Amino acid sequence: MAGIRLHVIAPLVLMAVGKCARDASVYVRKCAANALPKLYDLRLEEHNSAIEEIVGILLNDHSPGVLGAAAAAFASICPNNFSLIGQNYQRLCEILLDVEEWGQIILIGILLRFVIAKHGLVRESIMFSLCCTESSNSEKDGSTTEISIKEDPGFLCGGNNFGLDVDVSGDNDLLASMVSRCYIERPDEYLSRSSYTNRGPELNVAQFTSGKSNNDVKILLQCTSPLLWSNNSAVVLAAGGVHWIMAPREDLKRIVKPLLFVLRSSSASKYVVLCNIQVFAKAMPSLFAPHFEDFFICSSDSYQIKALKLEILSSIATDSSISFIFKEFQDYVRDPDRRFAADTVAAIGLCAQRLPKTANTCLQGLLALTRLEFLSSDIGSVEGEAGVLIQAIMSIRSIIKQDPPSHEKVIIQLIRSLDSIKVPAARAMIIWIAGEYCSLGDTIPRMLTTVLSYLAWHFTTEALETKLQILNSMVKVLLCAEGEDLWSFKRVLNYVLELAECDLNYDVRDRARFLKKILSSNLNPQGLEEEANVSPQHKELSHVLAEHIFGGQTKPVSPEPMNCRFYLPGSLSQIVLHAAPGYEPLPKPCSLLHDDIDLSNACQGTNALESAKNSDFYDTDDHGSLSGSLDEESTSDYSRQDSITKSSVSSGGDGTGSANDDDDSVDLLIQISDVGNACENQNGFSHSGSADLRELISKRGLESWLNDQPGLSSASTSEPSEVSISTARISMGDIGRRVKTKSYTLLDPANGNGLKVDYTFSSEVSTISHHLVCVEVFIKNCSSEAMSDIFLQDDESSKGSYSADQTIVATDR
Amino acid sequence: MLQCIFLLSDSGEVMLEKQLTGHRVDRSICAWFWEQAISQGDSFKLQPVIASPTHYLFQVVREGITYLACTQVEMPPLMAIEFLCRVADVLSDYLGGLNEDVIKDNFIIVYELLDEMIDNGFPLTTEPNILREMIAQPNIVSKVLSVVTGNSSNVSETRPGATASCVPWRTTDPKYANNEVYVDLVEEMDATINRDGVLVKCEIYGEVQVNSHLSGLPDLTLSFANTSILDDVRFHPCVRFRPWESNQILSFVPPDGQFKLMSYRVKKLKSTPIYVKPQLTSGGGTCRVDVLVGIRNDPGKTIDSITVQFQLPHCILSADMTSNHGTVNILANKTCLWSIGRIPKDKAPSMSGTLVLETGLERLHVFPTFQVAFRVMGVALSGLQIDKLDLKNLPNRPYKGFRALTRAGEFEVRS
Repeated sequence: MAGIRLHVIAPLVLMAVGKCARDASVYVRKCAANALPKLYDLRLEEHNSAIEEIVGILLNDHSPGVLGAAAAAFASICPNNFSLIGQNYQRLCEILLDVEEWGQIILIGILLRFVIAKHGLVRESIMFSLCCTESSNSEKDGSTTEISIKEDPGFLCGGNNFGLDVDVSGDNDLLASMVSRCYIERPDEYLSRSSYTNRGPELNVAQFTSGKSNNDVKILLQCTSPLLWSNNSAVVLAAGGVHWIMAPREDLKRIVKPLLFVLRSSSASKYVVLCNIQVFAKAMPSLFAPHFEDFFICSSDSYQIKALKLEILSSIATDSSISFIFKEFQDYVRDPDRRFAADTVAAIGLCAQRLPKTANTCLQGLLALTRLEFLSSDIGSVEGEAGVLIQAIMSIRSIIKQDPPSHEKVIIQLIRSLDSIKVPAARAMIIWIAGEYCSLGDTIPRMLTTVLSYLAWHFTTEALETKLQILNSMVKVLLCAEGEDLWSFKRVLNYVLELAECDLNYDVRDRARFLKKILSSNLNPQGLEEEANVSPQHKELSHVLAEHIFGGQTKPVSPEPMNCRFYLPGSLSQIVLHAAPGYEPLPKPCSLLHDDIDLSNACQGTNALESAKNSDFYDTDDHGSLSGSLDEESTSDYSRQDSITKSSVSSGGDGTGSANDDDDSVDLLIQISDVGNACENQNGFSHSGSADLRELISKRGLESWLNDQPGLSSASTSEPSEVSISTARISMGDIGRRVKTKSYTLLDPANGNGLKVDYTFSSEVSTISHHLVCVEVFIKNCSSEAMSDIFLQDDESSKGSYSADQTIVATDR
Repeated sequence: MLQCIFLLSDSGEVMLEKQLTGHRVDRSICAWFWEQAISQGDSFKLQPVIASPTHYLFQVVREGITYLACTQVEMPPLMAIEFLCRVADVLSDYLGGLNEDVIKDNFIIVYELLDEMIDNGFPLTTEPNILREMIAQPNIVSKVLSVVTGNSSNVSETRPGATASCVPWRTTDPKYANNEVYVDLVEEMDATINRDGVLVKCEIYGEVQVNSHLSGLPDLTLSFANTSILDDVRFHPCVRFRPWESNQILSFVPPDGQFKLMSYRVKKLKSTPIYVKPQLTSGGGTCRVDVLVGIRNDPGKTIDSITVQFQLPHCILSADMTSNHGTVNILANKTCLWSIGRIPKDKAPSMSGTLVLETGLERLHVFPTFQVAFRVMGVALSGLQIDKLDLKNLPNRPYKGFRALTRAGEFEVRS
């Protein structure tokens, strides 16, 4: 009956379900539990409290069958109403083993959230230990009291305040920690896990509870550990996730074997489990290090699985296991799948970087490889080989970069092999190496004259990228050179530049002219007399410029932003690497106070009222901003952008990712805004009917909020928190997204004249207040006439209160 | 939670669509999926979780049929994948093998099954025994009946009794004239032998399969002689965890019929029953292949169904292979399959031949991996031994049977 989606009969169905929930038969009660989410899905606000009440009754049940269904209902209806769990916690834990497997998955997640909300994190667990390392590494705080504050970023959910500020600092931490040791990568996982932080001082070490002394934690761990033996891989992973977060570090070993065993099931689940193991292994390589054999590759694995295994292998390699792993890698390099072989070569490079002791062995192997590939690289037909070769040289380059002086011989060998390597990208890379390390050691500078004339000789036959690289490297060599070499270098370079200026490709020609100009002083073969003509100041300037351009290239490579976000183990978001709608981080530790379990019910009434108001308010706001942005010609552009970025933004599905009820007692203000936000989504939902549109709306609303920032400082109290929620959302997406420039041509794109607006969300912190997001807006007048009276305005809607403050920049060109 | 399940045939046609929640998922998602699958080739088809512009898709491919599940919200991906696997298992169990035609012939049953297995996007009953009680398996009689009476439903009228009982996996009170229970050890050997002929990895993945036909509510206890060799285990929900934790004893109330009681893994085995020695020497545009197969450690029983197969590298134009025992076939997808059967007493089977490389290629630089399959009846190569099987709660003495079987899993020899 609940399947009939008619609003009219909903009250009747609700009554029937209520009756059935008290029925004597287990089967009837179970069906009642199954009907609840369907009822809830009709989005009739007035019934929500009644539905939650029934959920409470069902959770009180004694039959495992009913509990499984009730857990599912709980998760989809009121995942944050922890008071319902609190009453039954112990019994739920005990009965967990008997619940059917699908119910177990859900119930484990609920119990985990509850324990964290009630007791905070476990002091002995990996969460805590990593926090300590983080704070000790971070330059900002050293004292012990700060530790908890530092780690808070990780654990607090749901955007209470100061979102952007901490996000940025977190990213910095991320960069620092990623470079220092992969072990500390974990903190940023926390950052993303909950993405937003509270710098409030009310949280302290008391948030942590000792796993040994706390009964609830102990029970949870005890009850979930047999589930590691479950037949259902989803249950195993869920139980593993609980242990990962809650268990003391020394006990973490027990999740390793079950997780590895799950790898033997279907290839689809293999992929998912590997994705999770990858995160575990990166955070704690020691855990999986003894089991490296399990990640050896079978020829039947799919390419994705192979790549994942390689990545895990390279992150868990230790000094003792590396020799076995290398042996395997040697076999993989011969694999018929050349893409995989190239990945293997890259993995060798990674291993060498992780374990500097092995760098020499790696280099020897890689060099041998480059020599091997010569045979095939002559033939253009084999595309895969080129990839392997390029990857090999890239790996060599990255190893050399770590410690150039000790690898001088390798560089020499590479330069010698130039003659036989034919792949342009590989050649370009070797030439880069030659240019970069031209002053290293004794032998290389002596070789350079020959090398350069060789390159000059072959210049016309080279491919484009090699040509460009030859030009660059020659200039580098020139700038480093001294004495009589200088003269010959200058001659060679002049020759090459002249060749390049007549090149067919305009890039090469441009590069040549640019270099000629900038080096005009250095280049002159005749030397002195002309040099006098050039003003010394000018000469100095160009020289400095040249030095700058070609000198400082050995910057550390910034780690790719791709993998810097981590999500809860076993979640969908972890696999697709962005927050899926409805993804919820762990609740705020200790947010559920012991005495407010009863209180929260009372609070709810008042909140509901407020939230109703709020939801109205925000809803109109949404539509307002929607129409505002639809106004311009740029609509099509805009919506396309949206559809791309949409999935990367968590638009919080049912009950946005924030603890609604658990922070009652902490801060009433926050609570209201959270509920408001949740309700707003619901409203948006029932208005639009389709989830797609809802996402669009919230995204639009969000962008307009972001633009709104300056105006908000004067707005009413509930808005700042709203803002931080919206920032919380956007930060869940890729970082790369934020620096994307969007361009609207407002007037006439056909003639090329009009007003062009580019805007970027920059990652820097606003100087005015850390509530705010910096938006850089570039306005360019492409038309012939001057333009005036340009001002930025968003929201030309009913909520006119914002628009007045928006005139920020009006530059006229 | 899952919103929709699609079954696609291997040509991309939507065979079956099952909407699970009130929010319909449009079929166009399948069109999108198939377009991607075509444009990106095989690697896409092997990707289990896909983020499409509007939905998250989970896919499981079994025997040419793609099971696709859609969701828009966060959920444990393994739950979806595991569920799809169960659906595939149950369907093939019910219909006796799976292919496009079988599914099209039995639409009603498939829909009935899905109705029972999932409700509102949440898995409901997936235990095959219980399902069988609710929905009759198709057979000739039922087909004839449905044609004659015009009543096509084969959902049983009674509600499943087991859902109410404390052992939800067991049908209520089955009656058998002769009680019997069979325990099978089925093991798969995974081994990797690297190019130097060194055994890199050798482990056994085993399952204890039980087929029970016992009346009443029996209580079984199964113990092993040497549990110490087990590296890790996984259990059917019916197994009680406590006795295993304390005494390594399996205590359980079995479901009715065939089921997988336990799976286990034994790692770090020292040897394989057979050896395969491939040798490839190339030069002058051709490559000479020699493969030798023989018995290394005689397990005491005959090894049969031995096959060796390998994928010819792309750069090979033609191949000419012969063997002194068994048959060699080169299949259309450039796979060379050598079926040996049993190894004869008097000679060691060998296969040899030459591969002609692409013009211009002097030597072979990529080497194929040889996959080996074999079967040994009557022996569990891991060495696991069943000590005894006790039955309680039974009116008369049942018949107990025991079998073992080892076959090759991912047995690979690199060359």
